[in-house]
Amino acid sequence: MKQNSITILVPVIQEKVQDLLDCLARISCSSEAGFSKKLDDLGILHFARWVVIDHGRSWINDDQTRKPKLLFVVDFDGNESDFLHQICDSAGEIIDEVFSHCEKYPSKDFSKTESRVHFLLFNTIKDSAVYIGALGRTVAQIKIERKLRSYIRDFLDSRSWLDVSAQTLHRKIKSHVLSNPDFQFLKEEKVSIPRINYLGVVFLGLVLLILSPLIIIWILIVHFFYERKDENFNLKRSQLNNDFLNDLEASEDFKNQNQFTQLVDMKSGKVRKVTISAMFLLTNGLIKFFFNQGKLLGIPTIHFAKWVLFEGDSRVLFFSNFDGSWQQYLGDFIDNSGWGLTGIFSNTKVFPKTNFLITGGAYREEHFLAWSRNSELVTNYWYSAYPDLSIKNINNNTKIRVQLMKSLSDRKAAKFLKLF
Amino acid sequence: MLYSRFAYLQISDAKAAKKWLSESWKTMTTAKHIRDKSQISNTHLNIAFTHDGLKQLGLNEENLAAFSREFRQGMVSPHRTRLLGDSDSSSPESWIWGGPQNEPIHLCLMVFGNDKSGKDDLEMDKQVCLAFYAELESKFEENGFKLVYYIDGQTQPQNKEHFGFRDGISQPIIEGSGRVGPKDDVVKAGEFLFGYKNEFGVYPDTPLLASPQGDLNLLDSDAEGSGQKDLGKDGTLMVMRQLDQDVNKFWTFMNDNTKNPDGSINEAESAKLAAKIMGRWQNGAPITLFPDKDPGPNSDINEFGYAKFDKDGLKCPFGSHLRRSNPRDSVDDHGAKESLKLSKQHRIIRRARLYGQIYEGSPTDTRPDGDVGLLFICFNIDISRQFEFLQYTWANLPKNKELYNDPDPIIGGKERLSTGEQQNFTIQDLPVSRSVKNLPRVITVKGGAYFFLPSINSLRFLSTI
Repeated sequence: MKQNSITILVPVIQEKVQDLLDCLARISCSSEAGFSKKLDDLGILHFARWVVIDHGRSWINDDQTRKPKLLFVVDFDGNESDFLHQICDSAGEIIDEVFSHCEKYPSKDFSKTESRVHFLLFNTIKDSAVYIGALGRTVAQIKIERKLRSYIRDFLDSRSWLDVSAQTLHRKIKSHVLSNPDFQFLKEEKVSIPRINYLGVVFLGLVLLILSPLIIIWILIVHFFYERKDENFNLKRSQLNNDFLNDLEASEDFKNQNQFTQLVDMKSGKVRKVTISAMFLLTNGLIKFFFNQGKLLGIPTIHFAKWVLFEGDSRVLFFSNFDGSWQQYLGDFIDNSGWGLTGIFSNTKVFPKTNFLITGGAYREEHFLAWSRNSELVTNYWYSAYPDLSIKNINNNTKIRVQLMKSLSDRKAAKFLKLF
Repeated sequence: MLYSRFAYLQISDAKAAKKWLSESWKTMTTAKHIRDKSQISNTHLNIAFTHDGLKQLGLNEENLAAFSREFRQGMVSPHRTRLLGDSDSSSPESWIWGGPQNEPIHLCLMVFGNDKSGKDDLEMDKQVCLAFYAELESKFEENGFKLVYYIDGQTQPQNKEHFGFRDGISQPIIEGSGRVGPKDDVVKAGEFLFGYKNEFGVYPDTPLLASPQGDLNLLDSDAEGSGQKDLGKDGTLMVMRQLDQDVNKFWTFMNDNTKNPDGSINEAESAKLAAKIMGRWQNGAPITLFPDKDPGPNSDINEFGYAKFDKDGLKCPFGSHLRRSNPRDSVDDHGAKESLKLSKQHRIIRRARLYGQIYEGSPTDTRPDGDVGLLFICFNIDISRQFEFLQYTWANLPKNKELYNDPDPIIGGKERLSTGEQQNFTIQDLPVSRSVKNLPRVITVKGGAYFFLPSINSLRFLSTI
């Protein structure tokens, strides 16, 4: 089944901003027995978050008056309308409680599932690039494969296998699993692991090659006519606002996963807009053909991530759900994909100094770390369906399942056993 | 120099303290290389300040704010406590020093003794150290200091810690320091000293003076060219954590998991399991190169990689303490070259000292007298990217490599697990890996703090503020 991701952005009634923040804090606080439990029960939701934006602090002393807005971001299985119907049906009261702080939310008397769904659909904004770490894996599949893996692990730990060949052991595991009625579905439901589409990669490469003279000219234009005039981000982490960092940290590192929400403003002018759109096009192409193995730009810890251009392409949101700590995540970004991030974010205001679009920027480690912290937003509510699993675990579990159901040679069986 | 005392002091009279500093900086041990060993003093002294201490000494608010957030906050804050895994018995509320219930600490005096007539004689070194300390202590009041707590740190001649393992073998070499060694261990100076470029090729976030005070001529200017004076230059940040070691729990776990069929202790297998968990044999030899048995005493062998000798973890498991904390050429599934680059971004210089009875644990020696442990000391510039990263990402997170429920078996385990949570150690093996279940937490954090260890010039400067 296809996974989907939507972003809903709704203006908040000015006088109700504080109420909304309090309400979200309350929901977060009682989450495990409350809202998160309801989301668990849906069984089709991977990650969700609510973020209030434009209600106070601006990351670059933005002089525009902005209207406060509420973001609702969800990653789920199946199609939009089915999902929204389900959530509005089973968690309707909480949806009402939250969105009643927003403009034009259908009043109580009419707040039936249908009107809620209509409201949310109406306020959906378009994602620019979406990355999924375990492509095609539904929540149900992820959970059953977790169960399968630990069932096999228990079996493996039940005795010593020193005297058994890899091939025999594979067979024994298989028959042990298939003798359990819980796993009968393995016989019928075949799954596969997404593969790198080399044809697509070659195609992308060719397109880039053909366009390379244009791209080079473009980069030179950006460098000589734009980059040199850029206002750059020169702060270090020690210079960031303490209270703000406290707010960010208050919701971090409770489990093995974390979230990241970031909002930046586009530099003005067509050139920047074209550049970022081209970067998103490239990112989307790479995600489709190449980054379908559980790594985004070489980073092996991201479950779902996306970029959203909004408000007439004048601003960029970035969302990510990842394993480990912020420090590790950002460090990984610099090491593995500094060029990619720089290519995208150098088109946004007050970024660490870049040269020729993809150099400098993220590679100015200290300033880049400070920049990403500074442009981060406090996520007011966050949900994860399987906080005990890393994206590596999830992908490994699917490999286990796929290999288990095959007949393997001794060599391949040995490889299968390495997955444990 | 086997004996040392780490005295945690408060500054009760800043003026007197600065007066003392203005003279005593001359007596502090420096990095200067002394060729003629007979010229090396038999006592050594160093000083490091907490953020509170710099404030007490009189550093301005603006200048205090120039330090990194981790150093400013110190080791104890709700978020930091979560990151470091300091919960249950290790929670800062029950610490002996450095916790919220304890008296604040302003500085740490590090006092070392070396009796030069003997060779590696702990008792004789102790006398020298304590005599020197007594001399210093007699003037604490006069110099505006008040003693809060001290720990006596010892080094065992073979450098073994209480679980019985040779410690501190692998250390990074600061590029440009004149020391020589394997190139994989040579790390950019900016990882350990302010004012130099780090492994990313940029200057680290150094405390630049934001508002002039004291004798500014004593300080170098910002290497990055801002024109500001750099209080950090040639100084570093020091992390100290007092870690109680439960020797009995450690070895009982090894013994229980390797018992003979008749229930008796299988010493060889127990020692082997412990070596798999640690990553080296008790005598120091890396299990990566000596997978079957301990090749003998006092091994300093340190030139090896995991990618090259042990890609699948069949010798040194992926989850072992040393493979996690310094993965060398094998970080996640990166290639060797990339891995070395990543490893170098997370190196620390360690200088641990033992406290309590000098005791060498083993399968049959499991009950030291009284509390024993290790005063963990490390030096780094970016506490978040170095020490805290190592403690959280590589030790506490159970998801290292392809692992599922395996925290660092020495320093990363939790004391109490939530329902359904497992805590294991996986041993990669043929035909398939084995898991050793219910890993106990074998250390308890008893205290800790982050310190700024200033250069001699900065120390002089601090005496003038």
